Amino acid sequence: MARSLVPVLALALVVGLQSGCRRGSDETRGAAGGRTRLVLKYQPLWGPPGPFHELLSRFEQANPGVELVTEALPNASDLAHQFFLTSLEGRARDFDVLVVDVVWVPEFARAGWIADLSEAFPPARLREEFLPGPVEAVVVEGRTYAVPWYLDVGILYYRTDLVPRAPRTYAELERFAREAREREPGLQGYVWQGRQYEGLSCNVYEALWGHGGEAMEGGRVLLDTKPAREALTYLRGLIAEGVSPGTVTGFSEEEARRVFQQGRAVFMRNWPYAWAEAQKEDSPIRGKVGIAPLPTVDGEPGSGALGGWQLAVNAHVSPERRRLAEKLIAHLTSPEANRVLALHYARNPPRTALYEDSRLKEGAPFIAGLRELVERARPRPVTPYYNLISDVLQSEFSAAVAGLRTPEEALRRAQRQVDHLTGEAE
Amino acid sequence: MRRGGLGTALAVVAFLTFFLGPFLWQVLTSLWPDGELTRPWPTHLTLESYASVLWGRPFLRVVANSLGVAALTTVFCLTVGAAAAFALAKLEFRGRGVLLGAALGVSMFPPIATVSPLYLILRAVGLRDSLVGLALPYTTFALPLTLWVLTSFFRQLPDELYRAARVDGCTPFQAFRRVLLPLAAPGLATTAILVFIFSWNEFLYALTFLTTPEKRTVPVAISLFASEYREPWGEIAAASVVATLPLVALTLLFQRRVVSGLTAGAVKE
Amino acid sequence: MSARGSLERERRQAYWLVAPSVLVLAAVALYPILAAVWLSLHRFILVFGERRFIGLGNFAYLSGDARFWSALGNTAYFTVVAVTVELVLAVPLALLLQRAFPGRGLLRAAVLVPWAIPTVVSARLWAWMFNPDSGLINRLLGGQDINWLGAPGYALHAAILVDVWKTTPFVALLVLAGLQGIPEDLYKAARVDGASSWRTFRSITLPLLKPALLLALLFRSLDAFRVFDAIYVLTEGGPANTTETLSIYAYKTLMRSGDFGYGSALSVATFACVVVLAVVWLRLLGRAEEGR
Repeated sequence: MARSLVPVLALALVVGLQSGCRRGSDETRGAAGGRTRLVLKYQPLWGPPGPFHELLSRFEQANPGVELVTEALPNASDLAHQFFLTSLEGRARDFDVLVVDVVWVPEFARAGWIADLSEAFPPARLREEFLPGPVEAVVVEGRTYAVPWYLDVGILYYRTDLVPRAPRTYAELERFAREAREREPGLQGYVWQGRQYEGLSCNVYEALWGHGGEAMEGGRVLLDTKPAREALTYLRGLIAEGVSPGTVTGFSEEEARRVFQQGRAVFMRNWPYAWAEAQKEDSPIRGKVGIAPLPTVDGEPGSGALGGWQLAVNAHVSPERRRLAEKLIAHLTSPEANRVLALHYARNPPRTALYEDSRLKEGAPFIAGLRELVERARPRPVTPYYNLISDVLQSEFSAAVAGLRTPEEALRRAQRQVDHLTGEAE
Repeated sequence: MRRGGLGTALAVVAFLTFFLGPFLWQVLTSLWPDGELTRPWPTHLTLESYASVLWGRPFLRVVANSLGVAALTTVFCLTVGAAAAFALAKLEFRGRGVLLGAALGVSMFPPIATVSPLYLILRAVGLRDSLVGLALPYTTFALPLTLWVLTSFFRQLPDELYRAARVDGCTPFQAFRRVLLPLAAPGLATTAILVFIFSWNEFLYALTFLTTPEKRTVPVAISLFASEYREPWGEIAAASVVATLPLVALTLLFQRRVVSGLTAGAVKE
Repeated sequence: MSARGSLERERRQAYWLVAPSVLVLAAVALYPILAAVWLSLHRFILVFGERRFIGLGNFAYLSGDARFWSALGNTAYFTVVAVTVELVLAVPLALLLQRAFPGRGLLRAAVLVPWAIPTVVSARLWAWMFNPDSGLINRLLGGQDINWLGAPGYALHAAILVDVWKTTPFVALLVLAGLQGIPEDLYKAARVDGASSWRTFRSITLPLLKPALLLALLFRSLDAFRVFDAIYVLTEGGPANTTETLSIYAYKTLMRSGDFGYGSALSVATFACVVVLAVVWLRLLGRAEEGR
């Protein structure tokens, strides 16, 4: 029996090793056959592959001598970060252009992993052409380190058949939810993302802004503040008073969407992707959904957390490759590319002008209609330490939302750990 | 006696339900049409989830990765470990107890304790994000397992065989290679199966040291099986079934060996 | 060749035979542990290449780090409850497997299924069963809305259930091997004496099974203490860190935050806990052996 097993194992081994080697050799193959190989590291766009490939091949046509190669990144943001942490820290040169999450730009810039692109993309020009939120995320200390590619923003979904209009204040949201639930018992009020993960942090920052607060003060992440306490008290109150079900403490985007889509909730906080799902043929809430800015304490339209991805250049590649990489970024962030991503992949354009684009208005009216919302989108605290502290914040926010600690205590603990991690305490 | 019979039957049914039920539910989920997952029952069954896992994603590649790493670990540990296990079982030398104890100790290491230095080591030798590099940390649990199981197998072989070979003029190594090793084939097979299964199932090291999606192993791929926001439960279930069936088949096929191997190190000492 | 010379040669060859294994173990286990201890004495932020020696600074912070103590508490709770439940289930299961009854082969095979399934897969499988909306468990409970993985009181117990499902079979096999070592004669004698089956169990099976049980306890508790896979998949340590174990906390600090200094301090602390646990168990086991 052992003898019969050995050849099987040996075969498997050879197969495994071969596939391992083939990938490994990619690194050394810089310019094969006189063509320069330019590598783009990005996350799958989830849609028909055709239009994006066409976009890429148009770049190859315009730049003969360049072979464009795409490589996939892990889908989950924290794992993509882990990938860059381990590869860029190891000075990897096997990719030229990379996508970065909004919250990573200051970190990667400070670490010296992504190149300063200010010459090709001056900050002033970005401010003219792109929405303010994404620009704030990619310009670090007056220098451009990345160019916005597509964005996401937290928005409020509401049921047009259950409430008279979108709520503008927190009090209104609670009242509308209560009234709808009195008419229709068994209905949930407001579903959002309360699980211990980055989505919760987005919800918390939105509530913080909604209470007139800021998370940064003079370069320091400052959380032990009155608006932060009010924000956590409000989120906890939603659960304690039954406006939100107790289960939201386990919800990420999809759990919330499923409840809302089954018609079991009046309000939902989510990203724009949920719209297409709600409008599907067999959706019970098709045609009964509206979107609006998140409510605030005083009725001013609220800001949604900015999500989405930017394109940056690996700082370890040679100057010639960097110039090519910049060209590729210019191509992929052009108005045409913005339109392709919006029409075929439902990615929201970061360019302001696109929201007035007639073809977009016609082909993707929902996206074009998001203008008011994306203009208000705000990045989470812009600090090189974001990733270092986000884990601490998630756990303390989670404790406060779940009612395990008072908001005061959670924030005190969060502040202490943040100060320790960022070196403020020393 | 009747009461005892009924009690036994109830206990059997309870245990069977507990151990098999969740797996069968997963199989059912994998056949359940995706749009109907929130309904009490599916209106029909479909193989769609399987199709999208096998053809819509690089899942077969992931399976091949796992196969490669597990096989490499197995071959490496058996090669290195068999000789040592023979020496531990049949030869007189100082430090036998210490070595077996150390092996046991290492197998009890929490893997997290060695993650940070192993990461720095793999980076230094250029093996980060590589399947071959992954086999190295895998030996931390696989080699101790090999040593324990194989040593107990070699011990079961009669000492006379070894003595006779020595009298015939073999060196200890020749006696090991020509006489004892072939006889220990069942033991090698048992060890190979166990090491293979443990390597196939390993998660923490694979998650830490592999970052490129195409290099993922099965557990990592399944743990990260999500579209951007969506959790495709049907596809996860289908992938789980695909990734698990070979293992379950292997285990059931070699049931006796697995059981004897699992308990060999533990009980006979 | 003299007998002594031959013995000498045998010893030399033995060292050559074990040398590769010793080297490998030293390289992948001993060296990394020592290196981890060294790293834990630094402030080492991987991202910014920030690395400087701070002596015991990380451990000073750790001693006052409430999150560390809660992770330790969660790990201990997980270990004690999971291992206890597993033993309580495994003993009757092993007794059952030892008996002859129709369908024994099926049961024997069935218990191996959870064991063979990768922990990550079993955690995914249970995560779907725990799904508050459409999961099997809430369905079976008649459409309840229990938030198994999201509510602080439930999530750790859900993780324990996954561990119990996955490893009870292994414990049962260990117990079964112990049972099979008990001479049949003792049972015959007991039957002749007219002892009830409960009495037989109490006065014959259990005492003779003690070494096997202690061994299972040793293996399982050390194994449960380092739990990572299941919890990472089920909750990633949430809600509010109520399921965060030492391994999860150390992993997040190392690989998510890139804080290799404090992360190494956490993993060294985890290692120290496992060593203490092992020493205590081995003492107990030694005493049980002596008592026999």
